Amino acid sequence: MRKISLFQGTITGITFCITFLLVLAIGSLFMVPSWEDIRQNIWSPEMRFSLKLSLITGLVATVLVMSCALPVGYALSRLHFWGKGFVKTVIDMPIAFPELVLGLCLLLLFGSTAVGNVFKSIGLNFVFTKKGIVAAQFFTALPYAIRIMKSTFDYINPRLEFVSRSLGYSMSETFRNVSLPLAKNGIMAATVISFARCIGTFGTVLILAGGSYMKTEILPITLYLNISYGNMGMALTSGIVLMAVSFAAIFVFEKAEVGL
Amino acid sequence: MSFFSIEDLHINLGEFYLREVFFGLAKGDYMMIIGPTGAGKTILLESIVGFWKPDRGRIILDGRNITHELPEKRNIGIVYQDYALLPHFSVYDNIAYGLKKKGRNNLKSHVLEVADALHIGHLLHRKPATLSGGEQQRAAVARALVVEPKLLLMDEPLSALDPQTRRETRRLLRQAVRKRDTTVIHISHDLNDAWALANKIAIFKEGLLLQFGTLEEVFSRPKTRFIADFVGASIFHGTARHNGQDACSIDCGDFELTSIDKVGNGAEVQVALRPENIIISKDRPEDTTDANIVGGKLEDIVAEGRARFLTLKVGTTELSVLVTNNAWEHLDVAPGDNVYAIIDHSHVRIV
Repeated sequence: MRKISLFQGTITGITFCITFLLVLAIGSLFMVPSWEDIRQNIWSPEMRFSLKLSLITGLVATVLVMSCALPVGYALSRLHFWGKGFVKTVIDMPIAFPELVLGLCLLLLFGSTAVGNVFKSIGLNFVFTKKGIVAAQFFTALPYAIRIMKSTFDYINPRLEFVSRSLGYSMSETFRNVSLPLAKNGIMAATVISFARCIGTFGTVLILAGGSYMKTEILPITLYLNISYGNMGMALTSGIVLMAVSFAAIFVFEKAEVGL
Repeated sequence: MSFFSIEDLHINLGEFYLREVFFGLAKGDYMMIIGPTGAGKTILLESIVGFWKPDRGRIILDGRNITHELPEKRNIGIVYQDYALLPHFSVYDNIAYGLKKKGRNNLKSHVLEVADALHIGHLLHRKPATLSGGEQQRAAVARALVVEPKLLLMDEPLSALDPQTRRETRRLLRQAVRKRDTTVIHISHDLNDAWALANKIAIFKEGLLLQFGTLEEVFSRPKTRFIADFVGASIFHGTARHNGQDACSIDCGDFELTSIDKVGNGAEVQVALRPENIIISKDRPEDTTDANIVGGKLEDIVAEGRARFLTLKVGTTELSVLVTNNAWEHLDVAPGDNVYAIIDHSHVRIV
């Protein structure tokens, strides 16, 4: 039998302890009084509204996030331009920000500033509206998607693109024929992670779009509101649905990452 | 006027740079670039194809200044050491990729012709990942050649191949480029590639082009000790003692050599000898009318493939001598033996 050193035993032990704690934490979500309550909660008007709004805003925000993450990730990976380091730092900043702070920044920006007024003049009022949910989800998920897309393009041998250019294809044609097809696993991973981040965003949505019952109520807001009212059944149901979405996202991400 | 020329090219990418690069090639020339790692060889190719913008200088191809043209407008092909085949395409689609852009008719016949010439016609349906290194390399060469580029650039295309595949790929490559009269610039670390393929050679070191010329010029008259070492020649300092009608005598300190090259009396010169131009004999030959005889001690013997490299010490000077295995069997000498080096007057080159 293979001998295990003290070091191997220690790090394996820590790994199992952490995993056990996480399993307990996740499992406690499922220690619900009755599964019948959960079934009823899922079909309640509030939950249906919240789930529908979460899926719609999450999908719209994910499409917007990926529309920006693809070109920005490619530019950060392939182009050399003045101020690139600064741009990268700024784009990554929301990852380190508390969501509440990001929400506050967006609230101030889209509130009564010139930028906010420009958006309002074209019908995009983000403050305490459903559009605000999309905006909050967009800014929360975007840095993650850009990071994944940049890493994906970094991983693609630039010589493949050089050769394509030398064979007569322009930079945009090369992007379409070579870079995009080779980045498909990264695009899949970034999309899934973005969607999961959008669905799960709480603090930014709460500050920018408000947590209004049956108005700007998405799943994390449902969880928060019902905890406040003391309605544990609804709160647990929201938690379980969010958990299911996250689990599916991580599963797809892992599958996509293997193919990267 | 050259078909392709580089004029005073400067490029600085921080860690890698090129300075004051000048050279010109005629149509159909095959130029081998040789130099140590970090010499700027790959930057030169990638500047020619248009991936790096030069800080100064001009690149002229077929009478057109292409220095600031986009890579896709230059009609220059490039083949990399790692093949850079598009992994999501079949071999056929890889080869046809450039042709599709050019809107050529008879796409299939063009692809089949070049694929058959490079012996990969039976692999067209396969994905690049399923091919051997040699097959991938031939697919990459086929893809570059099929669009008939005005200039083909190759960055160590044979270095990852085993010796037998390398010989075969060299042969196919030579046939393919000669048939199309393609002008080629090829980076290699292997002098055998230069002997087998090139008619011009350039030696680079630390971003500078040290010497450029025909194979004969560079291999037989290396300008510096570095180049001599790189191309396997011996080089040493000497003083021309007197001029005869057809020859001059050079005092190299430990020995004297006669050369048919002309040089002024008293001139300080560098003398270069190719290892394959020196004959070793155990006994002193009698007829020495046209040859120099230099006695020395055999210091070292290194076997390399079908030949042996001998180091002959003459006083403080070391001469490198190449002896075929067949000749070696008849030589009957060992390290420490006193032997004679016979060097034809015409093989003593004054640099």
